[in-house]
Amino acid sequence: MTVTLDDREQTRARYPDEEGYVERDGVRVFYEVYGDAPTTFLLFPTSPISHSRLWKGQIPYLSRYFRVVVFDPRGNGRSDRPSTAEAYSYWEIMKDGRAVLEATGAETALLGGLCDGGGYALMLAATDPALALGVAAISPSVPRLTPGHPNYRRYPSQEPLDTDEGWAKWNVHYWQRDFRGFLEFFFSQQLPEPHSTKQIEDCVRWGLDGGVESLVLADEEAPPPFATAEEARDLVARVRCPVLVVHGELDNCQTRERALAVAELTGGKFVALENAGHIPTARHPVKVNGLLKEFADGVVPPAPKVKTWTRALSRRRRALYVSSPIGLGHARRDVAIAKELRTLHPDLEIDWLAQHPVTAVLEAEGERIHPASAELANESAHIESESAEHDLHAFQAIRRMDEILVANFMLFLDVVREEQYDLWIGDEAWEVDYFLHENPELKSAAYVWLTDFVGWLPFEDGGEHESFLTTDYNAEMIEHIARFPRIRDRAVFVGNPDDVVPNSFGNGLPGIRDWTEQHYDFSGYVTGFEPVADREKLRAELGYKPAEQVCIVTVGGSGVGGHLLRRVIEAFPQAKANVPDLRMVVVAGPRIDPAILPQHDGLEIRAYVHELYRHLAACDLAVVQGGLTTSMELTANGRPFLYFPLKHHFEQNFHVHHRLERYGAGRRMDFESDGPAEIAAAIAEEIGREVDYRPVETDGAARAAKLIAELL
Amino acid sequence: MIAVAPAPEQTRARYPDEEGYIERDGIRVFYEVYGSGEPTFLLLPTWSIIHSRQWKAQIPFLAREHRVVTFDGRGNGRSDRPTASEAYDEREFALDALAVLDATATDRAVVVGYSLGAPRGLILANEQPERVAGAVFIGPAYSGGGEPLPERVMPWEDELDTDEGWAKYNRHYWLRDYRGFLDFFFGKLFREPHSTKQIEDCVGWGLETTPETLIAAHYGAKPGPEEAQELARRARCPVLVVHGGDDAIASHTRGRALAEHTGGDLVLLAGSGHAPHARDPIFFNLLLRDFARRLA
Repeated sequence: MTVTLDDREQTRARYPDEEGYVERDGVRVFYEVYGDAPTTFLLFPTSPISHSRLWKGQIPYLSRYFRVVVFDPRGNGRSDRPSTAEAYSYWEIMKDGRAVLEATGAETALLGGLCDGGGYALMLAATDPALALGVAAISPSVPRLTPGHPNYRRYPSQEPLDTDEGWAKWNVHYWQRDFRGFLEFFFSQQLPEPHSTKQIEDCVRWGLDGGVESLVLADEEAPPPFATAEEARDLVARVRCPVLVVHGELDNCQTRERALAVAELTGGKFVALENAGHIPTARHPVKVNGLLKEFADGVVPPAPKVKTWTRALSRRRRALYVSSPIGLGHARRDVAIAKELRTLHPDLEIDWLAQHPVTAVLEAEGERIHPASAELANESAHIESESAEHDLHAFQAIRRMDEILVANFMLFLDVVREEQYDLWIGDEAWEVDYFLHENPELKSAAYVWLTDFVGWLPFEDGGEHESFLTTDYNAEMIEHIARFPRIRDRAVFVGNPDDVVPNSFGNGLPGIRDWTEQHYDFSGYVTGFEPVADREKLRAELGYKPAEQVCIVTVGGSGVGGHLLRRVIEAFPQAKANVPDLRMVVVAGPRIDPAILPQHDGLEIRAYVHELYRHLAACDLAVVQGGLTTSMELTANGRPFLYFPLKHHFEQNFHVHHRLERYGAGRRMDFESDGPAEIAAAIAEEIGREVDYRPVETDGAARAAKLIAELL
Repeated sequence: MIAVAPAPEQTRARYPDEEGYIERDGIRVFYEVYGSGEPTFLLLPTWSIIHSRQWKAQIPFLAREHRVVTFDGRGNGRSDRPTASEAYDEREFALDALAVLDATATDRAVVVGYSLGAPRGLILANEQPERVAGAVFIGPAYSGGGEPLPERVMPWEDELDTDEGWAKYNRHYWLRDYRGFLDFFFGKLFREPHSTKQIEDCVGWGLETTPETLIAAHYGAKPGPEEAQELARRARCPVLVVHGGDDAIASHTRGRALAEHTGGDLVLLAGSGHAPHARDPIFFNLLLRDFARRLA
């Protein structure tokens, strides 16, 4: 497969609390420390084909319970790249691990490792038994312990070959010729599970970070750690601490025989993962995290604790509401649905697992925010970090949020294991929906999924590859639902069947409209507010004079919209000249500092406007991004508006646009081609215009609540 | 609450693989062994008002993966009913437990004690630390954890002019209307609605002994608050305490204190009475299994 890479490191779910270098024989090795729990968990790197980011699915979760230490192997990441083969022997990397533990003040530690890392961990445990509390060896590599995987014996690895096909790519000459091609092949083999595009991209990226020279030295030229199978066996048999071995049955790098030998020689526990490949840490992070935690708890029992379990008939009805923080929009509709739910079930207690800016709305509404919310990794900041000038590749931004999604799902899981909820509600809570389908045995309550769009859609400029990726994501979702219809007890589309786009999910996949009608209930749109009955009165309340032509400029709750605000501000003088009664109010929102925006005489810039929706209902024109919530608020209140979909934002460009077309609402603008002059002209044409939009229903929240309430 | 008269023992889900008696000072104590697999569970007797059938919801589950040993406390079941009070000292029950471990060639066991099983288990854990891999206490009658519930403070030996409520916890009433006492006591023990079957079971087991036996047992020596605390603080094994939040027999403050004094885990069961192992067996069984797995 072809892989497109992004050079920027994506937002992490958690950043290290401490970082540093150890130096041995002039080689500097970079390490990171996360958390400050009493027990240290050292996660070894593999060979220089990868680096410490390999553990991104584990670090945020494990560091809530352990002090997690990781390091980049010599030859990759921020560690040095020594130029001799000897410097890359297993023993050296093992010693680096011990030096890192020393440097970070750990006298004992749990040791974890994937592939070669499992080997280093076992070697350290065998040679320093006082240090090792336990070893979790995933897909372990212990050279010579057993015959290597047949894949490595198909072709000579050091001689020039007359083919590059398949495992002939495990060849130093090919590596020199096309290192990237080798990495793509190799990691496609190591991540054979369908729908592993993101994991493969990550691994290829990390492989390129190291470079071909270190890999040749480490994997082909370094002296083997053991001369004979006997030596390897003797060493592994010396491990005295508890051992966990995890083996994926589709492993194309290490054999089952080798993993079993490690388990047998150490008396360790062997866990086989069916239909899993060599890197379950990346592809099955929830399962692996659970195994690691369970193993660690068995080795180092957690501190005594008090837990409460409430017997079934003594329980109050409780729901956990997980509300996506991307944009402020979902908060209001979710609060409206929650209120309607409580009218149907007055005894219902609702806890919210949510983050800023959703929590701002929830706090104002007096809703109960679960304390674990404070530990959620921030999604809004990630989305902002992914955006360029009025440009947000939403699909890639979600893909590049995979670490945050794993971390936040693990937190969700801990919450619902500690407390008994009758119902989980996820409004575009991608992590909950995705990982429940990936780990269906974890579902222990009724579950409702809410969304206002279905289907990842590609842009033309993304070419065939982007289309391949969206199709792959859609296919995985469709397979999830088909295989585990019991996961979503209700799937509620916030809208009507006609709001669903007419596109296809991709080659060979069904049409989105048909499929959605078959798999969703429709609540109608949920605005989250009562329509304005008397607009003149509202204007008076908000301080807008009848003669004023009020134009509200807003980009919603995320920080992505700064460029649009500036562009509209630039248009203000011309617009004011065109419309002398113009009163323009620019709302920066909770995540943009108003002080950094340019000022003009007569222009109002505000940081945050309480109940912005009322101002939108009162205005004569709004200028907005292409987000669904704001544009539908304007539609519901019959206000004219200009909207600028973010470039590469598939939801705004396709899904929202389709819906607004149906309502006959709004004038679509283009940030690329519409400069201040065009904006000023459009303001003049649209402001105060009478509109004839399709009416928006007002019972959406009640309908959604009724669909949900049946599960309680 | 009227419970029916004792019926023949109902069909068990699992019958013992081995049974026998140990004898100490002429007193015979009946034990049963089920299944195989480490660690062994030793399910201790509680107050002799009931016998080892109290564990009927645990045995078949545990015995699928573990060896399970249980015995009838002296004074009920198939064990003897000595008449001398000294025979019912808490230490005697602990020594019976030890003798059963020896007789069944059990080196080490996870000890599970319900209510009065707590002082017995603590004595065993103190005197035979190498034999006790871990201890689970349910609704522990732990005198080191504060005063008894106020409504239970009634003279036990004196003739009272009422039979109302906890006035039934009285030797004269026991002799006058033993069945009435059992109905009352087990009605208090199961506070959860819809507990008719559990109450019937316990009343039936209570009827297998006599008020005279329970009166003799009442005088058995029990550790006082300070001694109990000493036992708890010195217990070295991992401990799990499970206590019903609505326990009307032994306040949950006792379970909290026992967890604190032993450094053990505490699981509070909101809405539960004194015998959650009988009333919420699934949850309790999983707790037991998890506890044993963590010891492994």
